[in-house]
Amino acid sequence: MANYHPSNDLLIEFSAGKLPNALGIMVASHIENCAECQKKTNIFASIGGELINDIHQTDVNEALFGNILSQLDKDPEIIIPRPSYKGIPRPLSRFMSGPLENIKWRGYARSLKEYNLPISDNQYNAKLYKISAGKKLPEHTHKGNEYTLVLSGKFSDNAGCYDIGDFIATDNAITHQPKAWTNSDCICFAIVDAPLTMTGTFGKLLNPFIR
Amino acid sequence: MSEQSSVKLNPLNQLVIKIAESQDRVAFKELFESVSPKLKSYAMQCGSSAHEAEELIQECFITVWRKAHTFNPNAASAITWLYTIVRNKRIDLLRKTKNKEFVISDDLWPEPETGCLENDVESDLNQNIARTLLHGLSQEQRQIVYKVYFEGKSHSEIASDLGEPLGTIKSRLRLAMKKLDSLAKENITWLIIILVTTY
Ligand SMILES: [Zn+2]
Repeated sequence: MANYHPSNDLLIEFSAGKLPNALGIMVASHIENCAECQKKTNIFASIGGELINDIHQTDVNEALFGNILSQLDKDPEIIIPRPSYKGIPRPLSRFMSGPLENIKWRGYARSLKEYNLPISDNQYNAKLYKISAGKKLPEHTHKGNEYTLVLSGKFSDNAGCYDIGDFIATDNAITHQPKAWTNSDCICFAIVDAPLTMTGTFGKLLNPFIR
Repeated sequence: MSEQSSVKLNPLNQLVIKIAESQDRVAFKELFESVSPKLKSYAMQCGSSAHEAEELIQECFITVWRKAHTFNPNAASAITWLYTIVRNKRIDLLRKTKNKEFVISDDLWPEPETGCLENDVESDLNQNIARTLLHGLSQEQRQIVYKVYFEGKSHSEIASDLGEPLGTIKSRLRLAMKKLDSLAKENITWLIIILVTTY
């Protein structure tokens, strides 16, 4: 069971449907295996229900119900089944081409490899990172916020030790130096605030963890 | 026992159950008439035009018809179930029209893998907590919660919307939560704690 959870702010925004982006995928990936956050989001959804209950009414076009009736017997859209890969939370699975052990990692440093997830947008930049067993990354600070979800292995920094399922938010005030545990590589799903002006700098290319 | 029967007696719950059990079009119409004007307000509050709002309602009710059998009154009350449908459809319609977002609602809330429904989570309890919480709020405080849910506003955006300092917005909610704390100690204590720390 996870020890580090998304903030209540994030869980409320998630339940309100206001995170249809990489951060939403990460929150959903954490919730899938966290009973505590499931319980909270159930209540936050109930608040959404109550708000709908109490909202004012807006007149609806009289023809609308007829239109709906005429479509009930149409064939539903075919849904492509969601792939299921070992070690990948289901919310993330549609954006992966295989299980964790088949990822085509990229990167120059031996201690740190990365894989770009196709869910980055002009707000968030999303990647998977692999820190080799026992390796330490250079100490660094962040520009903007960084969110991390541990998918496999463990890592630690000066603020704590993180295990599978832990959701860690760090802001630009924090300097940290992640280190993977000695017996296995650590794979994380990571998101950074990524305003368009900050992407693709040379420095980032050299060391994706230093921003 | 009383909890069981209150779950069954909830009129919206009954309508959805009738639709699920016997494809009851009378119940379907009744549900449509009681809920669609609210769903329309929700959609427009979220930024849809009147036309888009009705498209959203249409999608929602087609889903209600097809998925009524997945409604589990022990897991969530009908109004919360409907809320999650409209919330999800809104994301999917936005994605279709803007044609650039990649996330679909099924990524965020995947259908249960095995098809087995979550076993009796305390739906009634959740709804009561939510109701107690909201009804204990002043008009001003409720407006803030409403803006987070329906307009996706951050606290500082809400402050500028309402022409109030951020500190005022935060303290309004904090006061509301204190009031609630004395209303219902056991069940919602943790909710109060988190809301106080959140806002
Ligand atoms: Zn959690």
